[in-house]
Amino acid sequence: MGTYILKRIMAIIPIFLLAILLTFGMIHLSPVDPAEAYLSAAHIQPTDEMLAQKRHEFGLDQPLHVQYVNSIIKICQFDFGISYLSNKPVWDEVTYRMPATIQLALGSIILAVLVSVPLGFLAGIKKNSGIDHFSRLLSFFGASIPSFWLGYLLIFFFSVKLDLFPVEGIGTWQHLVLPSVTLALPLIALYTRLLRASVLENLQEPYILFARTRGIHEKVIMGKHVLRIAISPMITGLGMNLGKLLTGTIIVEAVFSWPGFGRYFIEAIFNRDVPVIQCYVLLAAGLFIISNLIVDLIQMCIDPRISRKGGQHQ
Amino acid sequence: MSKRRNSKQVLFISAIVLILSTLLLGCTNESKENSTSNKDMLTFAWPRDIGEMNPHVYNPSQLFAQSMIYEPLVSYQDGGKLKPHLAESWEISKNGKEYTFNLRQDVKFSDGTSFNAEIVKKNFDTILKNVDLHSWLGFIPKVDQTEVIDQNTFKLTLKEPYYPTIQELAVVRPVRFLGDAGFPKDGDTSKGVTKPVGTGPWILEEYKADEYAIFKRNENYWGELPKVKKIKIKIIPDAETRVLAFEKGDLDLIYGEGVISLDAFKQLETTGTYETSISDPVATRQLVMNTKKEQLSDLRVRQALQYGFNKKAMVDGVTSGLEEKADFILPTNFPYTSDIDVTPIDYNVEKAKALLDEAGWKLPKGKNVREKDGKPLEIELMYDSAESIQKAMAETLQSEWAALGVKLNIVGVELTVQIQRFKANDFELNFFSNYGAPYDPHTFVNIVGSEGFGFNEAISSYPNRDKLLKQIADVPGTTDEKERQELYSTILESLQEQGAIVPISYIKKIAVYQKNVSNFTFPANRDEHPFTGISIE
Repeated sequence: MGTYILKRIMAIIPIFLLAILLTFGMIHLSPVDPAEAYLSAAHIQPTDEMLAQKRHEFGLDQPLHVQYVNSIIKICQFDFGISYLSNKPVWDEVTYRMPATIQLALGSIILAVLVSVPLGFLAGIKKNSGIDHFSRLLSFFGASIPSFWLGYLLIFFFSVKLDLFPVEGIGTWQHLVLPSVTLALPLIALYTRLLRASVLENLQEPYILFARTRGIHEKVIMGKHVLRIAISPMITGLGMNLGKLLTGTIIVEAVFSWPGFGRYFIEAIFNRDVPVIQCYVLLAAGLFIISNLIVDLIQMCIDPRISRKGGQHQ
Repeated sequence: MSKRRNSKQVLFISAIVLILSTLLLGCTNESKENSTSNKDMLTFAWPRDIGEMNPHVYNPSQLFAQSMIYEPLVSYQDGGKLKPHLAESWEISKNGKEYTFNLRQDVKFSDGTSFNAEIVKKNFDTILKNVDLHSWLGFIPKVDQTEVIDQNTFKLTLKEPYYPTIQELAVVRPVRFLGDAGFPKDGDTSKGVTKPVGTGPWILEEYKADEYAIFKRNENYWGELPKVKKIKIKIIPDAETRVLAFEKGDLDLIYGEGVISLDAFKQLETTGTYETSISDPVATRQLVMNTKKEQLSDLRVRQALQYGFNKKAMVDGVTSGLEEKADFILPTNFPYTSDIDVTPIDYNVEKAKALLDEAGWKLPKGKNVREKDGKPLEIELMYDSAESIQKAMAETLQSEWAALGVKLNIVGVELTVQIQRFKANDFELNFFSNYGAPYDPHTFVNIVGSEGFGFNEAISSYPNRDKLLKQIADVPGTTDEKERQELYSTILESLQEQGAIVPISYIKKIAVYQKNVSNFTFPANRDEHPFTGISIE
């Protein structure tokens, strides 16, 4: 298991190098000059001397390959550079905003799990019942509503009209409710369907019949055997979404004025703040790799067959 | 076997507990919520974080917030009048090079130290250390010497006469004054200040990046003490959320340019529950025609395009009356712009068609685009795709000009690309707006005259181009008021009559506030804060 984890972590390195190359390439393919973007964002009409000075300050006057190698060397030392815009170290800016984003992502994942596991499971074992129809309705709704619109609707009803939750901001648990719901609804839609399908599939398996003939109590069969195996695809989906949640909260952060790093990143794109964009892409790549690894480990714990299969390959 | 399974269950459960507890931990730092029934504190929303409160830097620091803490020597007032502020009076030498300022004596910084000629010089010197960074502001590269004459007298000497100096001293950055305690050890403020110490009516009390900032009033302010004790600035990036927060009563005031959608403004106005107001023009939205492009090099074509669309209907329709049809390329409430004599071009389709015929662009039978020597009359208009007003106007022009037999292709680009293509002269038609008070008219005219800003080449086919450029170059050095006014009139009239710069509309600011907010006024300086005199009942 130790070597397995090590192997997976080693795989991060080439992915990182590729990610740096890709961001680098994309930023330099864009027709906009970061120095010019900086100055025009400050509402000043740049003179040629100012542009030259800014380009020099940002290191943009060096040849491309030198810039690329320099940025790799720096990143290896965990130095993500200084933001063009704020003049502060990018890593400080990102870590300052990270807790808010993590809080929001976790809040919505927990909410999604708390709702979709019982709902999907019940919808599966009680096919075509009222709860199954309800889950279907919720899934259609959750999968098709755009999150910014849902956000506005929630604010309008629960905040402006009913005055139950604050419109925007961060601080108390009340602040967390509406943004979490907004983020969680599409996940609930997805996981409920996934779990329901998986439960239905498992109910057809011969082991259920065996268990029933052995006289094991129905509750035990469902809770201990069916749910445990059926939940596996959902955990995979959850892992894929963990990375996506941490990097994809941008719209929700904007709608609810949530001071996370998604908002910060969007501004960086408009201002061509290259070090910030680079840091974000690397972070996102790292998050996806790590969350996939965690998911694999959890899977191994829940369903020992997976780790046994892995053992056979080794 | 079961023991192994148990230990794994424990692991799994403890992982979940860990996750949950981190989450709860994140929620514990409760912040003090305010309610707007508080009459001592005014709550205001702004789309972006206020940034570093340093008077000598630009982005991402927000102008209005910088102007709350730091003050200028001269202030820009309605109609372009320049009034004494931290300077009580000033004298300008005959040759227009020496400026002597008599400083106000009762002024203290918020930390109690006094404002004097020494500190004025110190601020000027740190600005001049980064002269390249500030060279966009015309007088800065021309500064030759800064001198302390006595405790309350400061003298600025220029290398050559430059009349807009006094007007440029009114800008929000970089010529405002930081107290001694704010300077870093090496005296260079371009990399940061240690403390935001200013002379202004407000002091930064509490600040959380991306969340909010609270300013308290400076109890020792030399001027009129603000009526509200505190101002809370909430950072709300999304325009619709700002409106919802305002409707809920979380905000007292929304103010700015483009801070909420036109629809939202109209909707808030029609409820009658709130106060709304619209400012005087702050800038002109212009349509720039590149006369270097063949089809636009003919004055008759440029005029035909102007006759060919109903400006008033377009401006009223697109902006729901929030902007006003413009007859001049600069608003008339700026210095030297009130007396410009040009013949307005009114909507007249027949005349437009006649002009196009005369210019040789004929409509072939069975076609709907005019041609000349087999080439169709096709023009491209570039607009900022993020700006809904530009987009709607582009679409209106497209359909209006189609009726004349002109094919207009509209291309939406990102703002930075728009600026870049404009400067590289890689455009046919483009939207532009001038900088506004206190930068104009001299900054606009200077941009037209300087190379590399787009205008210079755009007016290529003006027959009087060289003369015009000479006049533009001469204006800043004038020492005679009458001569200066004449030059401005000639330049602005000529620019407009030749039709490369078409005034479209006057851009205005909006404000929406709760009924209990009174004495709201728009600042004359486009970048200043709007809190002077404001109060809550």
